[in-house]
Amino acid sequence: MNFAMALDYQSCIDCKACEVACKEENGVQLGADKQRIWVTQVEKSIFGQPFVSLHPSQCNHCLDAPCVDVCPTGSSYFALGGIVMTDKDTCILCKGCMEACPYDARFVDDTHVAVDKCTFCYDTRLINGEMTTACQATCPTKVRLFGNLDDAESDLVKLLKERRFYVLKEEEKTVPKLFYLLPENDNYYAINSVSTDTKIYTYDTFVPILEAAKAKREKQWKVAIL
Amino acid sequence: MESGDTLDFTINKLTLKHFLSDKVLLLSYVFLLFAIFGVVEMVYERYFLLSANAFDAGLHPGSREVADAMREAVFGAGGEVKREAPWSLYIVNYMYLIYVGSGIIFLVALMEIFEVENIINMAAEFLTLGVAMLLAGLFTILMDLNILNLYWMIFQPQFSSGMWLMMPLYMIYIPLVILEIYLILSHKKAWIKRVAFAIIIMSLLVELVEFYIQAKLFDMNSARHLWTTYPVLPLYFMVSSFSASLAIMILYSYLLRRNCKQTYILERATLYFVLALGAYEAVAYLFIDKNWAQIILFGDFKYYFYLYIALAVVIPFALLFRRKLTRKLKLLAALFIICGTYLGKLIFVYGGNAYPMSNRFGVGFEKYSEYEQVKEIIFFMPSFGEIAVVIGSFGIFLFIYRVVYFLFLATRE
Repeated sequence: MNFAMALDYQSCIDCKACEVACKEENGVQLGADKQRIWVTQVEKSIFGQPFVSLHPSQCNHCLDAPCVDVCPTGSSYFALGGIVMTDKDTCILCKGCMEACPYDARFVDDTHVAVDKCTFCYDTRLINGEMTTACQATCPTKVRLFGNLDDAESDLVKLLKERRFYVLKEEEKTVPKLFYLLPENDNYYAINSVSTDTKIYTYDTFVPILEAAKAKREKQWKVAIL
Repeated sequence: MESGDTLDFTINKLTLKHFLSDKVLLLSYVFLLFAIFGVVEMVYERYFLLSANAFDAGLHPGSREVADAMREAVFGAGGEVKREAPWSLYIVNYMYLIYVGSGIIFLVALMEIFEVENIINMAAEFLTLGVAMLLAGLFTILMDLNILNLYWMIFQPQFSSGMWLMMPLYMIYIPLVILEIYLILSHKKAWIKRVAFAIIIMSLLVELVEFYIQAKLFDMNSARHLWTTYPVLPLYFMVSSFSASLAIMILYSYLLRRNCKQTYILERATLYFVLALGAYEAVAYLFIDKNWAQIILFGDFKYYFYLYIALAVVIPFALLFRRKLTRKLKLLAALFIICGTYLGKLIFVYGGNAYPMSNRFGVGFEKYSEYEQVKEIIFFMPSFGEIAVVIGSFGIFLFIYRVVYFLFLATRE
């Protein structure tokens, strides 16, 4: 098992239902700055033509996650399926993982005095055999698709084989597992929502990167502490 | 002050008069009041500030506490730790005290090896100064952590984590320095000659390892390019720390011992390290990620940076380079270095956090790498509690040093 998620961000309508569902299902601390997932607007204007694109995001569950390496107590660890988890009972709040994360995906949960982040709903859904996350289940425009990269027949792998995608901050070499699907039939949207420096992948070109990172880190995967 | 003989060395009796009349101790009490206020503030903010999650809101409808927690969530300061800048003044102060304290210990050990006579006479005092700084630094970092879970560092050791490696290092290092002080105080010259050399070599090794591990700690935060692209980070830590360590040793010699004999070598050494620090900073910014370098050299940090260079490098160099220097100017140079290197640490820590890390495209790196340079850096003013703990740590440093001084060192003068 190697869990990941694809995001068809062009379909996002910024209803924030995913943010609400995440907070409600996972008991996330209340507060605008306390989010496991979020939607961001990018606004710009080119020659007077305004453009807004919406980018839902969360922890990238990197295969080569730097946040796991810095943790002095093992509170930050890989669960089976390559999900990056935090054990709040052993967190000493050194904040090293927050500094190490290139995606700003971690925050302090003041109710537990520990660092919190997205778990891909591991403890609320995956553990019960469900193969979906709260954010995916609630999305009215089907932006997110969660799945198993090791299953060639999964909807996720099928989708990634059909569509081109990019990942965030690949120069950090963390091998993130949030795949942003390039808008295919809207060239204007694609040009305006993706940097010229961003590398666009097909599934076949990304698989060697995934496999190398998995081979390096898989021995650290362990049963989640719940 | 009465004294009584022990097996190895003299232990002086401390009376209430010492605690009530000594100027250094009185000053330390003022700082310690800040420490108490800071600790109370920290404990309240971390463990007692109202907070609620989505379950609380559903399970306790109408609850006044949940309502207050929700109001705090919406209109409050957003908790103790800012997501965008997790490391702040605590880390600045911790770094400064740890590096400068261990820098003093390193230099004294080195001078013992080379038998620099005037320094050996004051070795015990300098080492005590170094240990007191280490303990004050550890106090600062403990206040930054969730102390209640700290025991997991023992139960779940992470050998590859730079932060975890600091723990066994201190457990070896501090007793080693105390042993060294004991050997000096006990005047067991035969034993010192047999054992001290090995201890000093070990101490040197531990020192070098310490600087390496501290650098590793920052270098593991791969996303913060100010830290990870600093070339040979342990070298930066050493050079900047040694400048400040020597400045403190000069200041101590003049102010507390009124001793000018040993300062010539300290002044010369300071001059070389100040020069090395300037050379390092000049070269380092050729390698540092251009986005971060832009912020530090030409962006919002530029005034701090040039003030740091002026205080830590340019003015002390200009003063110490002169052959004939009055006592006041020497003190001034030392003070400038101490303040300047502290500012340097502040720029290092805050600068590492300054560039928005968020992948929230509207405010973060993706946007800036795509369209324009960052315009709004991340900067949060530390809370009053944090500032008070930092001021208080100097009280801990002064108190520990002075009490040890009265107990073991005063009669040696």
